[in-house]
Amino acid sequence: MSAFLEVTDLRAGYGDARVLHGVGLAVPQGEICAILGPNGAGKTTLLRALSGMVRVRGGIRLDGTDLAGRPPDALARLGVAHVPEGRGTFVPLSVEENLRLGAFIRRSRAEINADLERIYTYFPVLRKRLKQAAGSLSGGEQQMLAIGRALMLRPRLLLLDEPSLGLAPLVTQELFRIVRAINEEERTTVVVVEQNAHIALGIAQQAHVLETGRIVLSGTAEQIRADEQVAQSYLGYRV
Amino acid sequence: MVGFLQQIVEGLGAGAIYASLALALVLIYRFTGIVNFAQGEMAMFATYIAWQFTAAGVPFWLALVLTLALSFVGGMLIERVVIRPVEGAPELTVVIVTVGLFIFVNAAAGWIWTFLIKDFPNPFPAGAFEAGGLHVGYSTLGILAVVGLVMGLLYLLFQHTRIGLGMRAVAANPESARLVGIRVGWTLALGWGLAATVGAVSGILVAPLLFLEPNMMGGVLIYAFAAATLGGFDSPVGAVAGGLIVGVAETLAGAYVGFVGSDLKVGVPLVIILGVLLLRPQGLFGRAVVERA
Repeated sequence: MSAFLEVTDLRAGYGDARVLHGVGLAVPQGEICAILGPNGAGKTTLLRALSGMVRVRGGIRLDGTDLAGRPPDALARLGVAHVPEGRGTFVPLSVEENLRLGAFIRRSRAEINADLERIYTYFPVLRKRLKQAAGSLSGGEQQMLAIGRALMLRPRLLLLDEPSLGLAPLVTQELFRIVRAINEEERTTVVVVEQNAHIALGIAQQAHVLETGRIVLSGTAEQIRADEQVAQSYLGYRV
Repeated sequence: MVGFLQQIVEGLGAGAIYASLALALVLIYRFTGIVNFAQGEMAMFATYIAWQFTAAGVPFWLALVLTLALSFVGGMLIERVVIRPVEGAPELTVVIVTVGLFIFVNAAAGWIWTFLIKDFPNPFPAGAFEAGGLHVGYSTLGILAVVGLVMGLLYLLFQHTRIGLGMRAVAANPESARLVGIRVGWTLALGWGLAATVGAVSGILVAPLLFLEPNMMGGVLIYAFAAATLGGFDSPVGAVAGGLIVGVAETLAGAYVGFVGSDLKVGVPLVIILGVLLLRPQGLFGRAVVERA
């Protein structure tokens, strides 16, 4: 049986600069997959490849459907939701408008309204800010808004790029706790790119270490956590 | 006093026309960051189409509807064919393309309809509404009503429809708009279609006052630029307020500032543009976008 998300020999880059040199991944449905690695390893490019924002060669299949070469708006329609690095909120628009835009491709008003309520239970702070411009939110609130907007798509695959970026440690912990809860309740498959390896391994089932465009180490979250080299490079302690 | 109020009424009538062309400029600028120098010529071309319909015996209001529909399609086509290839190119490239479009549309109109002036039918009755010694021409009232209607429809579109929300999303962040499944290319074309339609309204409103000829919109475009600069290039409300202010300022300067008269009136928008850029570059209603880190 093949995995829900299957990436084979994925190559991608910008112009002549090749960033990914044949990446392979297989994520079962409902699991969280963490992508670790140093700056410039190609983590963000990998996510951008999965959501159609860079040109790719190689295979990307989601539940058997070939995703490679499709533009981002088509992938959104197939259920891929990407929370980009730097959040990508619609800054001048209100919080509610941002969330409703997340459901842009969906038609049923009743379902959309029900999903809004669901988002407010995950992120109660957003309900208090409904009419405020997204740009006026704090960093943590904007990240919550970005994830909330992605969930409004009812995604089959959720891509999170550095959700901890610029957030205080406590806020980051809260955010990852919620991501875990979402994953458990909605059975959404998640690929999360994260500098903070410790916290990412805390919620993931599997993890991959990316270095200069290649996966150099793969395993379950426990295996990766136990790996001495990873411990030294990304976790900041020796096993 | 009545004379002064009279000038203000005249100014508002002229200003409403500048406002509608400024609105067209602002629509395109908001979506694409492009200042469309060809906006006035596109409006002029649309006005010729309306003229052609009426010359063929089509009743004015039906001709108007047909022209606006054609303008919408024409605007979308221009985006797809002319602007799309330079999307993302440096600003100067895009500016030159719109200037080229200006020259092309102008020459095409001259080639098709010649440069001889044509009489354009005035849809509004002659005569004026009188109150307390003040004469408000039906034509002025009609222009204000039409521009007000266009504003109202645009407001409804942007604030209360799904398509409008999608368009604002594209204006705010095209990349994120793609990620939520919006077809950004088509949305930009839609923006150009809308702008062309709004611009066409200004051409059709101004033609009965100016006579129809290929260079008709040159002056109006300058006033529209002043209006958009004054109101803020990213603010539709600002464009309309700016248009009305510029119209009134121009009329008052022409009437009361001795050395300006009717010859130097056209200098007024330039003074306004310069003053705004020096004192408040974002315009009266424009805003520098604020985002917390």
